[in-house]
Amino acid sequence: MNDVLITGLGVISHLGSGLDAFWQGLSAAQSAPSRVPDPDARMDLPLMYAVPEADLPRGPERYGDLVLGRGSRLAVEAAAQAVADAGLGDVPPHRVAVVIGTGMGDSGLHEEWRTAGRPGPGPWSPVFSVASAVGSWFGAEGANSSVSNACAASGFGLSLAADLIRSGEADVVVAGGAEAYSRVALACFNRLGAIDPERCRPFDRHRKGTLFGEGAGMMVLESAAHARARHAPRSYAKLAGIGWSCDAHHATAPEPTGVQITRAMRQALAEAGAGREEVGCVVPHGTGTELNDTVESQVLNTVLDTGPDRVPLYSLKALLGHTGGAAAALATVAAAQILYRRTVPPNVVTGEQDPECKVFLPTAALPLAGRFALVNAYAFGGNNVSLVLQEAGV
Amino acid sequence: MTASQSFTSPVDLVVSGIGVVTPWADAPVAAAGGPRPPGPEDWFDHRRRLGPRGYKYLPGATQYFLAATRQALADAGEIRQDGDLADEQRRGAAVGTNSAAVALHESMDRTVIAEGANALSPATAPYFSINLFGSRLATEHALKAFNLTLTSPRVAGFEALEAGARSVSAGRASWLLAGATEEALPAAHPGSAESERGAVALVLEPAADLRSRGGRGYGRCRARSFFLAPDGAASPQGPERAGALIDRALAGLGAPAGLGRFTGTGGRVVAVLDDSPVAAAVAAALGSGASRVAAGAGSLEPLLQVAGALAGLPGPVLVVTAAREGNLALALLTPTAARRAG
Repeated sequence: MNDVLITGLGVISHLGSGLDAFWQGLSAAQSAPSRVPDPDARMDLPLMYAVPEADLPRGPERYGDLVLGRGSRLAVEAAAQAVADAGLGDVPPHRVAVVIGTGMGDSGLHEEWRTAGRPGPGPWSPVFSVASAVGSWFGAEGANSSVSNACAASGFGLSLAADLIRSGEADVVVAGGAEAYSRVALACFNRLGAIDPERCRPFDRHRKGTLFGEGAGMMVLESAAHARARHAPRSYAKLAGIGWSCDAHHATAPEPTGVQITRAMRQALAEAGAGREEVGCVVPHGTGTELNDTVESQVLNTVLDTGPDRVPLYSLKALLGHTGGAAAALATVAAAQILYRRTVPPNVVTGEQDPECKVFLPTAALPLAGRFALVNAYAFGGNNVSLVLQEAGV
Repeated sequence: MTASQSFTSPVDLVVSGIGVVTPWADAPVAAAGGPRPPGPEDWFDHRRRLGPRGYKYLPGATQYFLAATRQALADAGEIRQDGDLADEQRRGAAVGTNSAAVALHESMDRTVIAEGANALSPATAPYFSINLFGSRLATEHALKAFNLTLTSPRVAGFEALEAGARSVSAGRASWLLAGATEEALPAAHPGSAESERGAVALVLEPAADLRSRGGRGYGRCRARSFFLAPDGAASPQGPERAGALIDRALAGLGAPAGLGRFTGTGGRVVAVLDDSPVAAAVAAALGSGASRVAAGAGSLEPLLQVAGALAGLPGPVLVVTAAREGNLALALLTPTAARRAG
């Protein structure tokens, strides 16, 4: 089997654009949501962690008939960063694939057209064409896939990207996730009573739901043989283990015993060959939704013995908000940085930790102790994915 | 089985069940190739097709896929025991869609703009998330290995077949339900005239498992997706590049001599294409021997053609499809020795 290395990273989020801005933001551990600048957002809590206006990519505008919305532009920008970071030279186009996870795609573009009018005639513009836009930008001719498993979309997408390399169908996959503001998504979460009025505060005793964020996290995944042959400048980590499961329980609520998320975590750890003592950090799904955080905490205790002072969790959503289909990709970018820099950044100080969530959330930076990092992502429909990254050079 | 054990020898999957739901016909051959009179607006009665309770508030595309799934499972004829967790955990599903949520999103958005989020129906609010359109089946049929949702323009159904089969080869499941479901676009949308409504579901099982339970399959169905940027497709080299990509995809599916050899030995080619430069490049690469079928707005038509071809499969069939946005995919259908007819 071909090993899968992460040789390039690109990121744009509430913290700004670029890997340096991302790590500086993680280290500073401060952020706040704001009101969305949409006069038609008629809802009680029109809040989110948006990408700063100054960092929004202004283009590209279109490829052929395909008009790019904000989600596609975020993805192209992060992909361009990742490809540059990887120092990727000439690769035969048919050996390069693209896999993007996104929950809402370019829904925001259609919402803009609904109120401002479509700028001109043209064919129907599919909502889920973010991967197509990245494929056109790069000129990649391998598989091109859009995965839309809601808040776990990019976790499944990264898994499928790894499969393409492991099976020998691609040498390089530009993979990740992207999510932009959607009025419909935010309105529906308001209607479901799932928005926290203050901030995204996973594992907090007083959490009242989640808050959305915008962003894109993109990676260059590459076979180890290909990376070695071209003398790739670095490898941030190896994508060493993948675990999937489905609760088959409820449309929106997690299965309360966590039996299927346990199975996904154990599969991923076993595939990576990671013992529980070797896991140095967990980037949890942790959304701030009451039952989700409790169940995930309990399972982490069972699987890893995370306890209140053993394996540190890095609770990314407390800083970026819940970036939906991009969340697992952004969590994987963070985990790769944690392994590469051998440092767990400080968690955001949110308030009082829920005694039902017995997990370790250090609020000061810690040196990493362990060769592996675990990333969890869960979604509506009971879709569960765990990924295990391992420190690895080229 | 782990991924490290598996990719060296992909699992040999056979289609053992077909389910089709369209406004004009539910038999695969008639749905794919027969006349398509416009059905009445209320063509799908969820009470009759699914049951008297529990389905009223599900969006149309969810209802269609549930009905197609029931057909496919009944057609496969497998008997399962309730509550067998090990069995549930080996069953996965992959569903493709492009337009299942478009009309619902439009309706929701107009409600938010006019009245505010509090006027949204709490029963349908979760369906802002496209993956819920294909996820009810996992709950209803206890599919606990995975439940993927794929959404690439036009090729999403083939993408579901491809990603699902690869995930089986990765050891995450040993049984697969794959298909596509679509709902019509709102009338004001460009492309509404080509709207699709309906669903196709296929059951795929390892050939050895099917033999051991005494079943017979329709044939093998293996899919590959790839990409040709619209600008490149529109260039003078577009057809040549499309042809090279099709040949490579065929080679990846075990037909290394490419399209020329495939058609030269009696293979039939069906091309599901629109009027875009990408489709034109593919059509030129396929040549005049391909049967051309007009693509709909979403991902359903390619799967309808697969279902129709599988149901009466005398020899190899290649179904090729392309999207204006650059996504391309093909499905290679080959008969099995002990074949059943639809």
